[in-house]
Amino acid sequence: MVAIGLAMLAVLLLIVVFGPSIAPYSPSKTSPNSLDGPTALHWLGTDSIGRDLLSRLIVGGRGTLFITFIAVALALAAGLVLGLTSGYMGGKVDLIVMRILDVIFAFPVFLLAIAVVAALGPTVRNLILTIAIVYTPAMARVVRGPVLSVKRWDHVEAARSVGVGEFAIAIRHVLPMVISPILVQTSLILANTIFTVTALSFLGLGPPPPDPNWGSMLAEARQFMELAPLTVIGPAVAIIFASLTFIVLANGLRELLDVGSR
Amino acid sequence: MIRMVLVRLALTIPILLGVSIVAFGLMRALPGDFAEAAAGTTSVSAEVLATTRAQLGLDRPIWEQYAIWLKGVVTGDLGRSFATKRPVTQELLPRFAVTAELTLMAGLIAMLIGVTTGLASARLRGRTDWLVRGWNSLLLAVPNFVVATLIVLLFGLYFPAVGIFNYVPFAKDPLGNIASLLLPALSLGLTVSVTISENTRAAVLEVSSQDYVMVARAKGLLARTILGHYLVRNALTPVITVTGLQLAALLGGSILIETIFTIPGMGQYLFDSVTRRDYPVIQAIVLVSSTVVLLTNVLVDIAYARVDARVSYE
Repeated sequence: MVAIGLAMLAVLLLIVVFGPSIAPYSPSKTSPNSLDGPTALHWLGTDSIGRDLLSRLIVGGRGTLFITFIAVALALAAGLVLGLTSGYMGGKVDLIVMRILDVIFAFPVFLLAIAVVAALGPTVRNLILTIAIVYTPAMARVVRGPVLSVKRWDHVEAARSVGVGEFAIAIRHVLPMVISPILVQTSLILANTIFTVTALSFLGLGPPPPDPNWGSMLAEARQFMELAPLTVIGPAVAIIFASLTFIVLANGLRELLDVGSR
Repeated sequence: MIRMVLVRLALTIPILLGVSIVAFGLMRALPGDFAEAAAGTTSVSAEVLATTRAQLGLDRPIWEQYAIWLKGVVTGDLGRSFATKRPVTQELLPRFAVTAELTLMAGLIAMLIGVTTGLASARLRGRTDWLVRGWNSLLLAVPNFVVATLIVLLFGLYFPAVGIFNYVPFAKDPLGNIASLLLPALSLGLTVSVTISENTRAAVLEVSSQDYVMVARAKGLLARTILGHYLVRNALTPVITVTGLQLAALLGGSILIETIFTIPGMGQYLFDSVTRRDYPVIQAIVLVSSTVVLLTNVLVDIAYARVDARVSYE
């Protein structure tokens, strides 16, 4: 399972790192052959203004995945700080942090993201920030849960009794024990973020054109989809492949690291 | 029981208050306001902007604006739209009803598919189990707007005669209305059915291994009776919880699905209002959706206690 997931992830990373250089054409280069089916020149055919679909999928994937990775990394960092502090310190700090997160949890994530991105203006930076903020509470909860149980384990008590500082205990003795569930959940949240990023772009709230993006490609293609079904199926399969990668990876990691399903 | 309901409701009040602050502050914290958005690209003198703001009360201190708004909300008055000057309640209600109907239908479809596949997976095991789980993992990776787009493509290619974009208002033709929402609700509910299916499967497997099920079997009860009286009833508890918790995702997703199937729900209304910085409308939409989510969570807790006598919130 993990091997399959990692292989799929490698494909995605290849696209992010080498995207423009492995694409056969420039993603914005038009040609007179619009809405063509697959040919020897254009393996997946062309879109409504004759741009090469395969090239746009590769370069568009880079845009989508870049936003996803950075946003989740930021959310993970914020979630680690919040979840570790609130879970480890407990008491009032925990109560206050959790109540604030409860408030954010009460909003439908997607609704919140639409409102903020639409108001700030859809740029790559705003998208990353918004998505990072909306996913921080989920991350914090993921971290806090296992911290609550690990902090009562004997080795933590032992560290405390030999005089290790609280901060050092949290970092050196609690954090390493909760890495496995966090890895699994992060992978699932990555799949979710792919969904949010592409859905926002689908609604026209993605990175501004001419940069291609799986979500906006899917939206644009709807107009002519009966004439060239591949223009819809291409980005659809790309989105499904990317989220499937992280779901497979999460399931594999869960088995490998023996994390309970809850 | 009544005490428990009251306690749970009381606990949601501080969260709702927090939600109202965020709903109120969100748009005001972001750059641009209604006066500027209304002026658009034409350059307007500072005085004109100031007059517009004064008319709408935007020149008052922010806490005062909040207090006035909150007072209205408590009495059921969500204010007037800056753009149309009509009461928000009047404009929002019909649109919210459509979104709510779509969400509800999607939830029902998700439950139907989820419980059926989960039950089949747990009872029949073997190849069925393998098939259901494979289908679920794949489905989990397909976002609802991709399902919707693919459904539209499928109908466009093979059944062009079926009008899938013809939304029928409920008041005009109730049956036609439900029929016109079936495909949108299906695309919205499919992803959620995965979570329900997996939870049903896990719950039924767990209940099956309980002693009382073995006793029932040893007594010679019919498999059908065991299924109805013991398995489904006890496995229902986690399923209800999961379905309730998916409501937030369904509400957010319905906004996407509405734009694809051109359904006149809250989605487009939210879009326009954010662009126009129509604060009262945005506040109302955010507040109403969050309240629905919170109240559902309370309902889930209550349903939980009704189904499972062991649960108490004393």
